[in-house]
Amino acid sequence: MSNTAIIEIENLTKIFKNATEPAVNDISFSINRNEIFGLLGPNGAGKTTTISILCGLFVPTSGKVTIDGKNLHTESSSIKKIIGIVPQDIALYPTLSARENLEFYGSMYGMRGKDLKDKIETWLQKLGLIDAAKRKVSTYSGGMKRRVNLIAGVLHSPKILFLDEPTVGVDVQSRNVIIEHLKNINREGTTIIYTSHHMEEAEHFCTRVSIIDQGRILTQGTPAELISNNNGATNLETVFLNLTKRKLRD
Amino acid sequence: MMTKLLATVKKEILLLIRDKVGLSILFIMPMVLIFVMTLVQDSAFKTMNEKGIPVVFVNNDHDSLGILIEEGLRNNDLCNVSDSINGEKATAELAQKYVGEGKFLVGIIIPKGATDAIRKNVTQLVSETLNGPDSAAKKTTAAQDSVEITILIDPVAKKSFLISVTSNLREFISEVKTKIMFQTFSEQIAEVIPDKQNAPKNTYKKSQIITYKEVYASETEDKIVPNAVQHNVPAWTIFAMFFIAIPLSGSILKEKNEGSAFRLHTMPTPYLLLVNGKIIVYVMVCLIQFLLMLSVGQLFLPMLGLPALVLGNSIAGIFILTLATAFAATGYGVMVGTLATTEHQAAIMGSLSILLLSALGGIWVPSYVMPEVMRNISAWSPLNWSLEGFYKLFLRGGHVTDILSESVKLVIFFLATMTVSSIANRKKRTV
Repeated sequence: MSNTAIIEIENLTKIFKNATEPAVNDISFSINRNEIFGLLGPNGAGKTTTISILCGLFVPTSGKVTIDGKNLHTESSSIKKIIGIVPQDIALYPTLSARENLEFYGSMYGMRGKDLKDKIETWLQKLGLIDAAKRKVSTYSGGMKRRVNLIAGVLHSPKILFLDEPTVGVDVQSRNVIIEHLKNINREGTTIIYTSHHMEEAEHFCTRVSIIDQGRILTQGTPAELISNNNGATNLETVFLNLTKRKLRD
Repeated sequence: MMTKLLATVKKEILLLIRDKVGLSILFIMPMVLIFVMTLVQDSAFKTMNEKGIPVVFVNNDHDSLGILIEEGLRNNDLCNVSDSINGEKATAELAQKYVGEGKFLVGIIIPKGATDAIRKNVTQLVSETLNGPDSAAKKTTAAQDSVEITILIDPVAKKSFLISVTSNLREFISEVKTKIMFQTFSEQIAEVIPDKQNAPKNTYKKSQIITYKEVYASETEDKIVPNAVQHNVPAWTIFAMFFIAIPLSGSILKEKNEGSAFRLHTMPTPYLLLVNGKIIVYVMVCLIQFLLMLSVGQLFLPMLGLPALVLGNSIAGIFILTLATAFAATGYGVMVGTLATTEHQAAIMGSLSILLLSALGGIWVPSYVMPEVMRNISAWSPLNWSLEGFYKLFLRGGHVTDILSESVKLVIFFLATMTVSSIANRKKRTV
């Protein structure tokens, strides 16, 4: 494994109770510090399960995960302090305002006082939410909710940020704002692990990608490498379809 | 850790005060329940104890027996006696008709010549006693009939009501019989005493040497009379406190469904700390509920003509028991919220189980009227532990030491529910 690796995954397998096939099937890979690593795959490929294991939500059936030099199984509480997550579903309290939501989530990372308040104001300002900060989240548009969802994951300046389809269902304007800020976060030293169905977005956003299907890794490399290694492929979407085939997934 | 706990408490308070439906379930519903149930049960209580059981009395005797029974029934709080129906003198036929229609629960018909018949029977008995079985009196009254008093019964009347009326009736008849017996004895003895001036008078009255009085075995300084308020206010308050399981489990499942729980599990905050925030807020809600219910019992129910709630002697006991009940109720809510997978499931599971536990616990019907099997089951309901504790404080004038066993059982129940929740939560994550 590389010395610069911040996440190292060895032979990771997850079989859910009563399932006939493993959701994640003996995968091994590492993610380097400061990378924007894309985990791409069709529905049910095992992306969200992998991210959930890395965040400590699911216990793997077998395999070893090391994050920032710490064993996920034995040191999950100290790992949780350095990670942030932006889940696919909006994980906010709809009857609380954006500011109230962020105050609560920030406190759960041990932030408090002026530091917490300043960071909330800065982020609300950056993502164009300052005027709506007092309104209940339930009154927000989809794009606004996505932006608050993002802030809740980055407020504590995590070393590693997991993004599970962070731009799904938002307009082009909101998507551009989100992607720009994610690039800034990465420039400031945060490693990003990203899943998406937007191949074009992944091609331009990720420094390295891994294509996963049926719980197994099919290929891995920089977007440019994957395109050049696949005959006739002109973009990441063609590579993706060549590898995962055109059959519809549930 | 304290910052996180305070943030969780603040978040829970905000969520709660913005949930109007949840708030109405927590505060308005139990107050309405106490008003309605106390008024309904108080009116049933009054039918028996204040207005009395409606009885129609037909006196065809017009002599000692009829007069004494009527007098006895009229002086008895249990009965509300009428000897006329719609302004008409009550007859056997009218009584039969109106009892059959449910206008009266009981009808009593004293036949013509009843006193005379008793008198003749008693005279014969006294004569036999004094003169021997071959006396002439025996020959003259040998064919004497027994007295038959008819009791008409409304088929819907409760058996306990009828037993009360008939046992009173038996007491009056026995009293009349004894009185006549004493009079006859006195008359016969007077005949054999040469100095008639010294013949015994008022013998029956003098013979009433045994009396009884009813005293409630309570240690309270104030006189506490068991009534609908003393029973219903603690009972429905406990019910309301346990009903907290529905909004609480709903809040846990909302967090799961809205994704907040997903995010919270990825944070460096232990599950117990997150749950503790909820417990603190909902225990506070239970205490506020309790204060509100007490104020209803003490201030508002008297405005409706009901007796005011009397709290007994131990404020410390009330506080300890209320706190223990609040923890048990909150723990139960956390357990339901953890075990259920959807809000709908939690609402059904929560409401049905609380209805069941409250029925078993003696909230709807006191456990002492239940069959033995049910009484044994009832002893396992946490609502019953709490209710028994409040009965000790409110009705028996108990102190802190008297409710310790109930409080300890409630705290153990809380710890058990928290253990189950913690295990279930861990298990769900190792799917």
